[in-house]
Amino acid sequence: MTRVILLQIAQVLAVLLLAPLLQGIILQFEERVQRAQGPGIFQPYRDLRKLFHKQIVLPETASWLFWIAPVVAFTAMMTVPILIPVLTNFPLPLSDMGDILGGGLILTLGGFMITLAGLDSGSAYGGIGSSRAVMLAILAEPTLILVFVGITLLAKAMLPFVVNHLLVAQPAVYWSPAHLFLVAAFFVLLLVETDRLPIHSSTHVEVYMIEEGRILEYAGPLLALLRWASMMKQFILYTIFCNVLLLPWALSIEGTAIGALGAAAALMFKFTLVGCAVVVVETTQSRLRFYRYQEPLAASFLLAVLAIIGTQLS
Amino acid sequence: MLVAHLSPLAASLFSLIAIASLLLAFVMLGSRWLRHYLYAFALESWLIAALSAAVGYYGQYPELYLIAILTAVFRGCLLPYLLLRIVRRLNVARELHVVVQASSSLVIGAFAVVFALVVATHIGDTLGLGGTVVVLALTVMLSMKLIGFLMLTVRHEAISQILGLLVLENGIFLGSQILVPGMPLLLEIVILFDLLIIVACFGLLVQYLISHVGTTSSLKLRRLVG
Repeated sequence: MTRVILLQIAQVLAVLLLAPLLQGIILQFEERVQRAQGPGIFQPYRDLRKLFHKQIVLPETASWLFWIAPVVAFTAMMTVPILIPVLTNFPLPLSDMGDILGGGLILTLGGFMITLAGLDSGSAYGGIGSSRAVMLAILAEPTLILVFVGITLLAKAMLPFVVNHLLVAQPAVYWSPAHLFLVAAFFVLLLVETDRLPIHSSTHVEVYMIEEGRILEYAGPLLALLRWASMMKQFILYTIFCNVLLLPWALSIEGTAIGALGAAAALMFKFTLVGCAVVVVETTQSRLRFYRYQEPLAASFLLAVLAIIGTQLS
Repeated sequence: MLVAHLSPLAASLFSLIAIASLLLAFVMLGSRWLRHYLYAFALESWLIAALSAAVGYYGQYPELYLIAILTAVFRGCLLPYLLLRIVRRLNVARELHVVVQASSSLVIGAFAVVFALVVATHIGDTLGLGGTVVVLALTVMLSMKLIGFLMLTVRHEAISQILGLLVLENGIFLGSQILVPGMPLLLEIVILFDLLIIVACFGLLVQYLISHVGTTSSLKLRRLVG
């Protein structure tokens, strides 16, 4: 009993501590592909440390929402790892609190609070960032729901652990068109939701700002919390992509300490593989215009529809 | 009927090829560069040739190998080459005036696929073949036809229109390969030559359009000229 509780804590800690490393790896690889030196894979940790040592400056127009938003976002990102297979392939205590849709709900709650905080201070950039983020969410959400529906139809269950077991046990399902289309649809979503090209929402150029626009008023430790939360969101989405859909192997089966450590190492290896694919996309793709954002998402929507068709016919 | 008694491996191979060609039809629907249409069409034809060969292998129809080779040569090489020559001569690289944006047409296409699925499921249930690869073949066939119609409707470049026609025809051919694989060889060859003639006629028509109207967009054809 104690061991499974420790494992559950280890899952949350793994997401908390390894999330900046994933961000660092992707950014460093990108720099190397572009033949630059790069700051090293540990730069996000140094950035966070620097931000935590600064003082908090609040805008005069801000209300209590401005304070609460980073805390809620950070807590939401620490709640989701309880629900999904990060290190072990069996459910741990409190894993049955919510299914895939529940996890999606908590992830969205974090984004919702940040949107509110962007509107709260009343600055022009915060408002424009929030409105754009909501537009992007409106475009991405139908696809996300369709992917979840597709997963549910594939595994006849909404629990990520069941999907993981099914894909490991039956190679025929793994290689079925329905599953491959789901992987492709989710990959597009992954690019959109983690601020990668073709929609790179965290640039510092005013015309393009989405993510940056929402959190422009923040400074110091609160900004660090927001940055950390967004890295954790990226880590969580990568975990769902790898451990539930793409690479369901190499998770701890018995739940020993060695197994959990090995699973964490394997996780970073899998993430590096996916990260390489993301780097290829980021290097070859150019930014889309604002009014063409719907194109990759429409393609992803289509892939999800095809996946659902595939599940109906297998 | 061959498809009702397939081994699971063959069924999954057929469904993979069918869905991949449907995906290529969507690539054609979603891209705006004429050259990409052509490549997608060529690839789709190669997939259909592979499907013919696979059906011939699993169903013991030796003549289907010949059809596979003919499909690959005619639809996969000759037709794209002829169209590529027309595109080069035209100096038209992309659709300039789209009626429906690429992303919207993708979503409309997705709804067309859902409609095709409903119809195909209904037909499959009526025939007592629900849940087999028959339904998939019918779905892919119907949705490729609908996508072909969609391309004919929303695109205005002459080349896109001929490609829409060819996608439509590819869909019918794909469906017939899976559903009635024993179709006489002569019919298939006649269809292939028909296609060749269609493309040749279209080449002439495009030449005529350029010399008399000065454009290749059907949007400009607003009045009848005697």
